[in-house]
Amino acid sequence: MKIFLSILFIISATVSYSQATVNSSTFGMMEARWLGPGTMSGRITAIEGVAQDGKTIYVGTAGGGIWKTTNAGASFKPIFDKYCQSIGAIAIDPKNPKIIYAATGESNMRNSVSIGDGIYKSTDAGENWTKLGLEKTEHIAKLVINPTNTNTIYAAVPGPLWSSSKERGLYKSTDGGKSFEKILFISEDAGCADVAVDPQHPDTVYASTWEFRRKPYAFNSGGNGSGFWKSTDGGKTWKEIKNGLPAKPFGRIAFTVAPSAPQNLVAIVEANETGLYISADGGENWKKQSATFNVVSRPFYFSTIVIDPKDPKRVYRPALSFSYSSDGGYSFADASNEGGWVHSDHHALWINPNNTNQLYLGTDGGVYISLDKGATWSFVQSLPVGQFYHAAVDDRKPYNIYGGLQDNGSWTGPSAASGGVGNANWKSLNGGDGFWVQPDPNDIYTAYAESQGGNINRINLVNNKAVNIKPQQAPGDDKLRWNWNTPIVIGAANKKNLYMGSQYLYKSTDQGRNWTRLSPDLTTNDKKKQEQENSGGLSADNTSAENHCTIFTVAESPLDEKLIWAGTDDGNLQYTSDAGKTWINVAANYAKAGIPSQTWISSIEPSQFDKRIVYATFDNHMYGDHKTYVARSIDMGKTWTLLSSSEFTGFAHKIKEDPLNKDLLFLGTEMGLFATLDGGQNWFRMKNKIPEYVLARDIQIHPRTHDLIIATHGRGILIVDDISPIRNLKKETAEKNVVLFPNTPITLTMGQFGGGGFPSTGGWVAPNPPSIPPIKYYLKDRVSSGEVKMDIYDPAGKLVQSIPGGKRKGVNMIDWNLSMKPPKIASGGSKLDFSAFLAPMVLPGDYTVKLKVGDSVYTSVIKLVHDATDKNFTLQDRKLQYKTAMDIYKMHEQLAGVVDTINARQKLIKDNLSKVTDSSLKKMMIAYNDELEKLRSELLATKQKSVFADEKKLREEITEVYSGVTGQEAAPSNLQVQRVTVLQQEVKKKEKESQQILKKI
Amino acid sequence: MKRILFSLLLLSAGFSVFSQTADEVINKHIEAIGGADAWRKVNSVKMEGTLQAQGAEIAVVQTILHKKGSRQDISIMGMTGYMIVTPTEGWNYMPFQGQQAPEAMTAEDLVESQEQLDAQGSLIDYAAKGHSVEYLGKDDVDGTECYKLKVNKKNGSPETMYFEIKTNYLIKSVAVRKANGQEAEVVTSYSNYEKLPEGIVIAKSMTLPFGELNISKITINGAVDEAIFKK
Repeated sequence: MKIFLSILFIISATVSYSQATVNSSTFGMMEARWLGPGTMSGRITAIEGVAQDGKTIYVGTAGGGIWKTTNAGASFKPIFDKYCQSIGAIAIDPKNPKIIYAATGESNMRNSVSIGDGIYKSTDAGENWTKLGLEKTEHIAKLVINPTNTNTIYAAVPGPLWSSSKERGLYKSTDGGKSFEKILFISEDAGCADVAVDPQHPDTVYASTWEFRRKPYAFNSGGNGSGFWKSTDGGKTWKEIKNGLPAKPFGRIAFTVAPSAPQNLVAIVEANETGLYISADGGENWKKQSATFNVVSRPFYFSTIVIDPKDPKRVYRPALSFSYSSDGGYSFADASNEGGWVHSDHHALWINPNNTNQLYLGTDGGVYISLDKGATWSFVQSLPVGQFYHAAVDDRKPYNIYGGLQDNGSWTGPSAASGGVGNANWKSLNGGDGFWVQPDPNDIYTAYAESQGGNINRINLVNNKAVNIKPQQAPGDDKLRWNWNTPIVIGAANKKNLYMGSQYLYKSTDQGRNWTRLSPDLTTNDKKKQEQENSGGLSADNTSAENHCTIFTVAESPLDEKLIWAGTDDGNLQYTSDAGKTWINVAANYAKAGIPSQTWISSIEPSQFDKRIVYATFDNHMYGDHKTYVARSIDMGKTWTLLSSSEFTGFAHKIKEDPLNKDLLFLGTEMGLFATLDGGQNWFRMKNKIPEYVLARDIQIHPRTHDLIIATHGRGILIVDDISPIRNLKKETAEKNVVLFPNTPITLTMGQFGGGGFPSTGGWVAPNPPSIPPIKYYLKDRVSSGEVKMDIYDPAGKLVQSIPGGKRKGVNMIDWNLSMKPPKIASGGSKLDFSAFLAPMVLPGDYTVKLKVGDSVYTSVIKLVHDATDKNFTLQDRKLQYKTAMDIYKMHEQLAGVVDTINARQKLIKDNLSKVTDSSLKKMMIAYNDELEKLRSELLATKQKSVFADEKKLREEITEVYSGVTGQEAAPSNLQVQRVTVLQQEVKKKEKESQQILKKI
Repeated sequence: MKRILFSLLLLSAGFSVFSQTADEVINKHIEAIGGADAWRKVNSVKMEGTLQAQGAEIAVVQTILHKKGSRQDISIMGMTGYMIVTPTEGWNYMPFQGQQAPEAMTAEDLVESQEQLDAQGSLIDYAAKGHSVEYLGKDDVDGTECYKLKVNKKNGSPETMYFEIKTNYLIKSVAVRKANGQEAEVVTSYSNYEKLPEGIVIAKSMTLPFGELNISKITINGAVDEAIFKK
């Protein structure tokens, strides 16, 4: 009996597959636009190029996957969008450059670093990838391939940042990555930070180990587990390198072997006295050099040192800035800013081994290229890998996006622009690391932006001048503690309210000129978590990134300005329902739902539909727990329900409730964007041109355009335009084979954004949203057999347009330019006539749309309306324009008819001429043909030999006035209208002439 | 009882260990498009259609004589141009781009264009034609589950093909073309599959980066005058 039951279960499970499940594919053509920008780019973690061609280069990023160029940097495309976006290291097989290894999990161990999920391999230059293993290592610093036997690969694994782990150490594969063996392990707290192979004696391997750990409130680099090691038997046995190095304990050691003279090594050893050391005997003995500030700065973060492939004396130290040495590390010079500023904080350098003048540098702000060994640099403007923390929008047309980025300040840019949104459309607002930026909803000239540690400015958007409005410690208050990423929030109910939080919550109603403290200390105020002065370990590092016991998120209920929620970085979740007089802490309540205490409350979303409903996300990754915690309370936080899904990956950053459909929620995590259409019961991963493991930090839904705006930490801003079809999609609707969505009235226009005029000359350019709302329909499944076509009929029932339709699963969109079909024009000329592509815009009215899918027809009506507010183009203007355009349209078709008859007659002569033997008849035929040709050559351009020798005949005259009248949103001029009459007479005359000639035979 | 258990075991095994080979995918596809025998009889194909973009129409006629020649005529805004490929020569005449006379194809283009001479498609008897294939697992094409296959063509240019699992039709291909020293991907989607009287099944709709080509008339094994393959 039980067996039968399980069979039934299997069958029913199979059956349910054939039903339509709403998931990412339901979005169909509603794909994300990658807004970029490329202006400021983001942190680059690895650069490797193909030595054989010097122009195929792979760029690994902190949160934007891998980008590949095959033209030395003129253009890039992402090749790792289905996988983890944090890249630690890349290696190319030196013998077969189609073989690429990618290690995920960056090892620049700052507070905001993301984790990886192992090593991947491609055998076709990055088109397809297979995961090899080391899934739990979280961070991989370097991959090195034995140049002689390229199946031997070493992986330096520092391992987890926030917890102890057995996964740390140096790994070796001898089978091209199929299996890895751990060959150097120190402890669960010390991993492997760097590895190098002697290219001439590949059994000689060097490695550095590193003891390090982050806590939410402190960082430590250094300890007894840090060391420097050498093996001469391919990693079987190891000996510690010490002679000449400073006294232990060490911190992080970055080192490199000179490729052309591998007995020479250079190392930066973090210690109580961090220094630069060189060895000329394969690491046996070391000598300290007089290093500059840049060479020894921030060793935990700047772990790159590279020697020229050909010149062992040429040493590069990309760090806070870019330094180079020509004497083996004895002295260093810094790159100049001639040609433009080079972004600080460097993590990757590739030198073309066949042209060692050519360098590629990876910084916290993108890739730079040097052609003079690093003396000067030019910026690559086409990598949209910016690391946003938050995004906000205004209500202008088109609306603007505002946001702050890791190490790249605060910016604003439009959602659409003439010719597309390019780098130049973005404007810098504020410096430092950027986080929250809020445009003032009541003052279009003002925005609020900050740098790390709550340094908030009120920015004048016209002249870009800033006023510091950071709340200061008041008498009797404790010293203020500001999170690195301090919340700046505008009230959802009362948009005059501006909130900011240290451990206290502040409110201003006059643009930050005056502040009121609304709360007591809302944190746990745990003093053990407030010893930031001691952070860093061997090298002090306290950049406000370790500030703790602070408010991290604030939200005013959209339904009541007195109901305010605040979440802290140490687990408190509190609310006030009397604008701050009393506060209730619900931390103990969410813990009962299985959410660990002490988490960072990463976002709070009070419902727009019910005051008692609130959503929150909880981030526990700083305690080594990367699980996704998102929960809902329907009783003001008394009880919480954990929303879970097997789809979830990554710790949670942001939950967003749709403003119109209470069951539509979006969740952004460190590893993906997820959505639910049933209030959180079933979730799916968003794909549609959204990298599947995107670092989704913030989510907005524009109230006017219904666009979904995603602030990513590595792929800039992504926008899914107008999500209303999905918002309105009921489960019953999704079950139907075809659904033609109703359209809201469409304003007749030739487009909203204007033309670009000049094509893009490079840099990142994002496409605009549809300029005219497309006609949308839903297909339950892809249509592989049968036609999909949309016919559009005018109010009189006449067919005006017929457009092939998309056939993909989910929502499809047809762009209709609101015009009829172009006229048939006279053919057989020697010149392109653009009238064949140009048609009059139709008049306002109700148009019937018939969508044909195979044998079925689905009908709906679209209302096209005239924009009555447009004083430059009134309804009367429109009607006159239409009439005039149609007069010329008909003229084109009339002329085409005449030319067709001539063409046919000439063809007849041509086909028969060779068959005619009678010479006088032949002569007559030729003469007759010449007569036809003479007339034809007056009707359209027949002799034009080049685009630079313009020929203008009757057809071209008609086209001039036709394109003038039809191609613009304006009434025709008096002379345009007069010209039509003249041309009509001319066409009539020519028609008569042709009839006379044709009558002759 | 035992039998039920056994069939259950089979069922679950079927779910877990079932795997594809490239040949299985290709065979299923060929069967879906009419079978290899029907395709081997194809000696010439003439397709007439229109490429549509915003109501503007470009007339396209493609004529292929198996292994001997391929010609594409394109009529746009009242002008006509063509592209001819034979085993030894290739010509482009695109007067709308300002050309006054046919221009010879580069050697590189000619090599890449050779596959146009295959009226039967590259997968019919692919090994004999010198192509090799590689199965790359299942993949998602715009939400539709597909088998993914890489065909490494004899001429050196790879093409990745996606076959809809439900129908075994080819629904998308990504070909790599070399142009001016750069590799460029050409993505084509195929749909509107229709069975012809000859027994073969052809996609009558092809979506290219610049528009959708819809075929209105197909002639199989009609007489083709080889003179049309001369410039």
